Amino acid sequence: MSNLLPTGQPRIEEMQMLGIVKRFPGVLANDHVDFDVKAGEIHALLGENGAGKSTLMRQLYGLYRPDEGKILINGVEHVFRSPQDAINAGIGMIHQHFMLVPSLTVVENVALGLKSSRGPLLDLERVEKRILTLAEQYRLKIDPHAYVWQLAVGEQQRVEILKALYRGAALLILDEPTAVLTPQEVDDLFLTFRQMVTDGHALIFISHKLHEVLDISHRVTVLRDGATVGTRPTAGATKAELAQMMVGRPVILQYDRPAPKLGKSRLKVNDIYVAGDRGSDALRGVSLEVHAGEILGLAGVSGNGQRELAEALAGLRPIRQGSVVLNGRDVTHDSPLAHIDAGQSYIPEERMREGAIKDFSVADNFILEDHGKRPYSRATFFDFKAIAEQTRKAVEAYSVKTPSLDTPLKNLSGGNIQKLILARELSRQPSVLIAAQPTRGVDIGASEYIHQRLLQQRQAGTATLLISEDLDEILALSDRIAVIYEGKIVGVVNANEASVEQLGLMMAGVAETHA
Amino acid sequence: MKSVLFRLSLLVVLAAVLVSGCAPAAAEPVTVEVTRVVEVEAAPVEVVVTATPAPVEEEIFRVAIVMPSSITDMAFSQSMYEGLLKVQAEMGGPEKMEIAYSEGMFKVPDAAAAIRDYASQGYNLVIAHGSQYGTSLAQIAPDFPETAFAWGTSLDTFQAQGITNVFAYQAEAQEGGYVLGTLAANMSASGVLGVSGPVEAGDAKLFVDGFKTGAMIAKPEAKVNISYTGSFSDVSLMAAAAETHIAAGADMLTGSSQSVVGAIGVAKEKGAKWFGAQWDQTNLAPDTVAASMVYDWTGVIKDMITSVKAGVMGGKAYTLTFKNKGLVIAYNPGVEIPADAKTAAEAAIQGIMDGTIAPLSGPKQ
Amino acid sequence: MGDLFTLPVLLGILYSGIRLATPYLYAAIGETFVQNSGIFNLGVEGIMLMGAYVGFFVGMTTGSLWLGLLGAALVGLLMGLLMAVVSVTFKAEQGISGIGLHLFGMGLSSLLFKKTLGGVESISGFQPIKIPLLGDIPLLGDVLFNHNLLVYVAFLLVPIAAFVLYKTTFGLKVRSVGQNPQAADSLGINVAQIRYTTVCIGGTLAGIAGASLSIALINLFQENMTNGMGFIAVALVYFGSWRPGGVLVGALIFSFVNALQLWIQVKGINLPSDLAVMMPYVLTILALAFAVRRARQPAALSKPFERGEN
Repeated sequence: MSNLLPTGQPRIEEMQMLGIVKRFPGVLANDHVDFDVKAGEIHALLGENGAGKSTLMRQLYGLYRPDEGKILINGVEHVFRSPQDAINAGIGMIHQHFMLVPSLTVVENVALGLKSSRGPLLDLERVEKRILTLAEQYRLKIDPHAYVWQLAVGEQQRVEILKALYRGAALLILDEPTAVLTPQEVDDLFLTFRQMVTDGHALIFISHKLHEVLDISHRVTVLRDGATVGTRPTAGATKAELAQMMVGRPVILQYDRPAPKLGKSRLKVNDIYVAGDRGSDALRGVSLEVHAGEILGLAGVSGNGQRELAEALAGLRPIRQGSVVLNGRDVTHDSPLAHIDAGQSYIPEERMREGAIKDFSVADNFILEDHGKRPYSRATFFDFKAIAEQTRKAVEAYSVKTPSLDTPLKNLSGGNIQKLILARELSRQPSVLIAAQPTRGVDIGASEYIHQRLLQQRQAGTATLLISEDLDEILALSDRIAVIYEGKIVGVVNANEASVEQLGLMMAGVAETHA
Repeated sequence: MKSVLFRLSLLVVLAAVLVSGCAPAAAEPVTVEVTRVVEVEAAPVEVVVTATPAPVEEEIFRVAIVMPSSITDMAFSQSMYEGLLKVQAEMGGPEKMEIAYSEGMFKVPDAAAAIRDYASQGYNLVIAHGSQYGTSLAQIAPDFPETAFAWGTSLDTFQAQGITNVFAYQAEAQEGGYVLGTLAANMSASGVLGVSGPVEAGDAKLFVDGFKTGAMIAKPEAKVNISYTGSFSDVSLMAAAAETHIAAGADMLTGSSQSVVGAIGVAKEKGAKWFGAQWDQTNLAPDTVAASMVYDWTGVIKDMITSVKAGVMGGKAYTLTFKNKGLVIAYNPGVEIPADAKTAAEAAIQGIMDGTIAPLSGPKQ
Repeated sequence: MGDLFTLPVLLGILYSGIRLATPYLYAAIGETFVQNSGIFNLGVEGIMLMGAYVGFFVGMTTGSLWLGLLGAALVGLLMGLLMAVVSVTFKAEQGISGIGLHLFGMGLSSLLFKKTLGGVESISGFQPIKIPLLGDIPLLGDVLFNHNLLVYVAFLLVPIAAFVLYKTTFGLKVRSVGQNPQAADSLGINVAQIRYTTVCIGGTLAGIAGASLSIALINLFQENMTNGMGFIAVALVYFGSWRPGGVLVGALIFSFVNALQLWIQVKGINLPSDLAVMMPYVLTILALAFAVRRARQPAALSKPFERGEN
C-alpha cells in the first residue's frame, strides 16, 4: 500500500487526541476527552448541541488551544497555535457554515492564504490547473471561474472540499456537512467520502442525524455534556441505542399518530407573491390550505422562501399579491397584532431575534404578547402576582428548566428558551399555529418534547403549518407534506404515501405531477 | 463585554474632546487664557506679564468675546481681538482691563453657552462677534441686566424688544470695497478683476458690491468677475476660485473671510495682486498684497467701555466708516502703486467721507 | 451658456479639477484599503489635519519639503496605528472611534498651530514639474503635465492600488478579510495583522493627503483647513463601490463639478451662488443614492472580528 495520497501528500496513519480539557468561563466544554481516527476510516462524532463536538474539533484545527491534553499525529505530539499549523500538519476542516468569500471566484477562494509561486503576486493560473486536476481525481465537478455567490450549496461544499485537498489535507473534519443538502446531494457527497477513505484519507464526521452516522461511519464516538460517553463500531448499532447514549435516557423516535380528525379550513393562502430582502420575489405564487386538526409540513432546502412565507403569514412581511384567509377573515394586509387576535400563534425561526428578548426575564418574555391584557395587566398597570402565577404554571407545564422566573432569558439553554416560547404560544389555545423550524438547534430531549406538544395540539384541533428543513421531523409529524422550491410549491403529498427519494427530488425542483 | 467596549470608545471620544477642547471650549479657565494669549501675542502689548493677572480690583474692566473663527484668522475675528488688545494697552494693561475669549465657535449653540457663561461670571462687557449669534443674544441679554452685551455685524440693539443692554456694531465694508475697487481697476493691465467671497450675505456681500461699484466707476470697461465658495473656512475651494479668476484673465484679486489665505497663496504664485479685507494681510505675501481695508474697532470699543462705566449698558449702534476712522486703507509699501491709482483712491475716500460718493451706486449728481 | 464651454474654460476646469482631486485621491484610496479589509475609519479628516500641520511645520522649520512629507506620512501612520489598536485589538465601535480620531486630530492640530505658529504663514511648496515631451503638447500639455510631484503621485496611486488589491496575494487577503474574516482565519490568514496593515496604509495616505494641501497645493496651514474633505473622501469610497477606479471617477466628478460651478459664477451666468456651490454635493448625494453597488460592500465592514463566532 502506497504511503501517499492521490494528492501526493503523505497519509496520516493515526491521529489521537488524549485527555483534552477545554474550559470557557463558567463552562467545562471538554472534560478529558479521548478521540482518535485512522487512515481509511470514517469516525463519527455524535452529540447534542453543546455537547462539545465543535469545541473539540476547533482544537484539532488550531482555532482554540486545549487547556490540558495533547494531540498526536502518527505518534508525534503537535501543538497547533493557529489553523495554519493544523493545515501544515495535513488537517483540513469543512465547516458547517462554509468558510467561503462569496465575492471571490472559486480559484481565488482556493488560492487565499496560499504561498504564491510568484512571490507577492497572485498565480491564479497555476492554482486553476491544480484545481482541475484534483477535481478530476476526486470527481468533484466545478467551474473554477465562477463566483462563489453564483454556486448552489452543494457546489459550494465541493469548493470547501477542494480547498482542503489543495492544502494537502490527509485528515478531514466534516462539521455537519449534510445540514443544508437535499437527500440526493447527500448521496453524492457520501460517494465522495467513500472514495476518499478508499484513497487513504482519514475522515471525522460530525452529525446529529443518526441514520447518516449509521450509513457512512465505521466507528462512532458519542459526547455528552463535554465528556465521552463511549466509542463503538457502527456495525450493529441502532438509532435507539445511539440516541440513548446522546441523551442519557431512552428516546422516542417514532410517535404514535392517530388518524387526523380533519375539521374545516382554518388557513387559506391564495397565490401570494412576497418580496425577499434583496427586492426580488422570494415567493412566487404560493397556495396552501391547512385544516383544523392537521399538521401540514412544508419541506424544502434552506433559502427557498420558507422564512419569507413564515414572516408573511405572521404579518411581518408585506404581501404584494394574492390573499391570506385566517378563520374566514382576510388578513392579507393586517398587522401582526391582528393575526394574533384572529387566533394565530407563531413560533419564529430566529427565536433569539424575533421570538424573544434575551435580556428580559423569563416572566417578561412569557407575557410579551399579551402583556396589555388581563390577567397580566389592569388599566395599564401590571398585576405582578398574576404574571408570576401564570408564568410559573407555564414553566411547570412545559418543563422549562430555569433557576427562577426573573432569570434573564439568555442564561437558558436553546431548548428551554424554545419550550418557553412554545408555552407562550400554545397557552393561548391558538386555532392556527405557524411553527418555523421549531426544533432547530434544540437537543433531542427537548425536540421530542416539542414534537409531542405539537401532536397534542393537533389532537386539540389546531391547524398547524410546520415549516422545517429537517426532513425527518417533517416525516415524523406531518399529515400532508408540501415541498417548496425557489418560492413555489412543487407539490403536496400525503405523508403516509411519501418516500424520502420522492421528496428529495421535489426539494431539488423536480416537479411532482400528481398531488 | 459589550459595555466595556462601549466605554472604551467613549473614552477615546472624551480624550479627543479634551484635546480639541483647547480650541472651542466654552469659556472656562478665564484668567489662564488671558495670560497665555498675552505670551503668544506679545507684539502689540508693552506690558510684561509677571504671573497671573493682578487680583481683582475695583476698577478692573472685564471684557469677554466669543467669535466664530480664530484670533489669528487675518480677518474678521483677528480685527476685533487686536482692537481689544490695543485698548487694553492704552488703559494700562491686564491690571486695568481683562480680556477673555472663546474662538472657533462655528456652532451657534456652543457660542450661546459661552456667552451665557461669561455673563454669569460677571464680565462687564460680553461681545458676540458674529451676526449668527443675534437670536441667541436677544434671549440671553434680558437675564443679565448688570452685563452689557455687544454684537455685530448688525445695527439692531433689540431696543424694539425692550432690551436695553445690547450694543450693535457694523462695518461699512462697502466703503472700503469701493476704494479698493477704484485702486484695483486703475492698476489692472488686463482690465479683469476677480472677487471671491464666502457667502453671499452680510459684511462680505457689502464689501463685494462696493468693490464692484468702485471698479466700474473708475473703469467702465473693466470686467469684475464674482464668485462665492459657500464657506467661510474652505481654503482649498477659495484657492481654486482664485485660480479660476486668474485663468479667466484677472490680474487683480480680492476676497473676504478667513479662507482667503488660500487665494492669496495662488495670487502670489501666479503673480497677481491681492487686495485684503477686514485685516492687513500683507504679512502673508509681502509682494502680492497691494493694499488692505483694515477694521479698527478701537474707537467703538473705547466708547462702549466709557458708556458702560457711565451706566449706559447698551442701545447704541456703531458703524465703522472712513469718516470715524474705523475704516483704514493700509497700503503695502513693498508693492509699487502707480501715483494716479493712489490719487484716485484718495479722492474716493474723500468723496465717501464728504458724502458725494455713495459706495453702492457711485458719485451723486 | 455658450460662453461657458469655450476652450479656455474647459482647460481651466481640467486644471483646477485635477488639483482639487489630489487630496481626495490620497485620502480615499487609503480608505479604500481600510474598508476593503472591513474597517470603517471615519477619522480620515483628523488624520488629514495632523498631516497638513506636521507637513507644513516640519517643512518650514527644516527647510526640507521632503522631511515635511515624511513627517506627515509618519504622523498619519501613527494615527492609523491608534485607530487600529482601538478598532482591531479592542474591537471598539468603529464609527464612534473614528469620530474620536477626527476630533483628536482637529483639536491637536489647532493646539499645535497656536503654540508653534500662532498665525497663518505661507511656505514655498513643491514646484510644478513639466514632464518632457508630454508637457509640450499644445494646450493640454500645460494643463495635464505641468503639476507638482504630489499631484502626479496621487493619480499614479490609482492603478497601483488596483494592482495591489486585485493582483497580489496581499490584496486577496485584504478583500477576504473584509468579506468573510472567519473564512480567512480558517485558512491561516492573520486577520488582525491584515487589518492593522490596511489601517496604517490608510492613515499614512491620509497624512500625505493633508500634506498635499499644506506643502504642495495651498502651501500654508490654517486651523481646520481640510473643511470636511476627509468625510467626502469616505463618501467617495462608497461612491466608487470600494474599487480604486471607481474612487478615481468619483473624485474627478466631484472636483470637476466644483471647478465648473466656480466658472459658472465667474462667467456671470445667472445662477444664485448658493445653488452653484451646492452642485457637487447634490451630485454626490444623487450618485450615492443611485450608483453605489451595495453588493460590493465588504460584508464585514465595521464589524470587529471574533474568532469562533459564526
